[in-house]
Amino acid sequence: MKSVEARLARLALKGDQRAFAELVEMYQDKLYHMAYRMLYNRQEAEDVVQEAFLRVYRNLERYDDTMKFSTWIYRIATNLCIDRLRKRKAVYSLDAESSDHEGLDGYAMIPSDDRTPESELLLSDTQRIIHQAIETLPAKYKSVMVLRYLEELSLQEIGDVLGMPVTTVKTRVHRGREFLRKKLEHKL
Amino acid sequence: MNCNVAVMLMHDYLDDELSRDEQAELKLHIDSCVACRTRLEQLERTEALTGTMMDKRRPVMTAEQSSALTARIMDSVPFKRRRRAGFASWVRSHPAISVAAVFVLVMFSSFLAMWQQDSELTVSGSDLAQVVISGDTVTVPEGAHVKGDLVVENGKANVYGEVDGDVTVISGSLYQASTAHISGEVKQIDQALDWFWYKVSHSISSLAY
Repeated sequence: MKSVEARLARLALKGDQRAFAELVEMYQDKLYHMAYRMLYNRQEAEDVVQEAFLRVYRNLERYDDTMKFSTWIYRIATNLCIDRLRKRKAVYSLDAESSDHEGLDGYAMIPSDDRTPESELLLSDTQRIIHQAIETLPAKYKSVMVLRYLEELSLQEIGDVLGMPVTTVKTRVHRGREFLRKKLEHKL
Repeated sequence: MNCNVAVMLMHDYLDDELSRDEQAELKLHIDSCVACRTRLEQLERTEALTGTMMDKRRPVMTAEQSSALTARIMDSVPFKRRRRAGFASWVRSHPAISVAAVFVLVMFSSFLAMWQQDSELTVSGSDLAQVVISGDTVTVPEGAHVKGDLVVENGKANVYGEVDGDVTVISGSLYQASTAHISGEVKQIDQALDWFWYKVSHSISSLAY
């Protein structure tokens, strides 16, 4: 028995717009949430989600339904986010030396835009500190951590999404957690 | 327990991947090691805070923003009735392969034409004086001594005597009597590919010398 998504994907491939719209509805917010946690920038997160669906549409015929649709779409979106984080790093590492803000690197210096919902504006100090710590996570840990906490994916699924063995995922979860612990240690 | 091992176990514990025995071991260590107890507390707090921060129930976009994004996505996707991936579009998207395919096709057909054309008996060699040709049969009689190579195309070759070189038979048969003696290589070429290879290597070596 095929999954709902696989059937929708098949219909969309035949040119059924409503089927594709349904896929968008099913995954748009999840992807946005993930992208937003990765990038902490509304505009960029929206761009990533849009680009992800474009790629999904273009590659529908290449979708292999032995793979979970969610794994596939998360893989596409995660890769887009990682690319963006890497590009940022390339730009910001140029003047990383000159930055004398303690504990802040290029990631933290990206202005997060302020068009966030109320709930995000009303961050407590503690939340702000955690927020900042998460933002400074290197891309390879960040993707793992975001997928782990946000979607409550199993380590195996994260491995499938990122195309790496479970042992690597575990190591990255551990390192990411240690990274955050060190960042938060003195502040909390 | 070593503290490094304890830290690894702590992470496995936070990943919910620790057996009951291992948990007991970890607890035993933590009860006796202040540094590790602090470490675990920090990690647990980190875990909890990160979890809250990333909780998917914390909305990051409003309903209007969400529907605006949906509209944006649906607008940007170039919906069209997908044509079945036709031959023409395939050719257009793979120009190099198409050109190569046409080239191979032309080469192959001309080669096939050449292959079928030569059905007449052809004999070549440096010393044909002692060779007897009758009908489609080329005979090297007993006691004859042919110097140099002998090539027979589209015919039968019967060798009774000596050949001081290679004997090559293309699209034909070769008979070697017990008295025959061929000092060089004996080659029989039947397959189109072999023939092609022979022609190519022959023309290259004739260019070289």
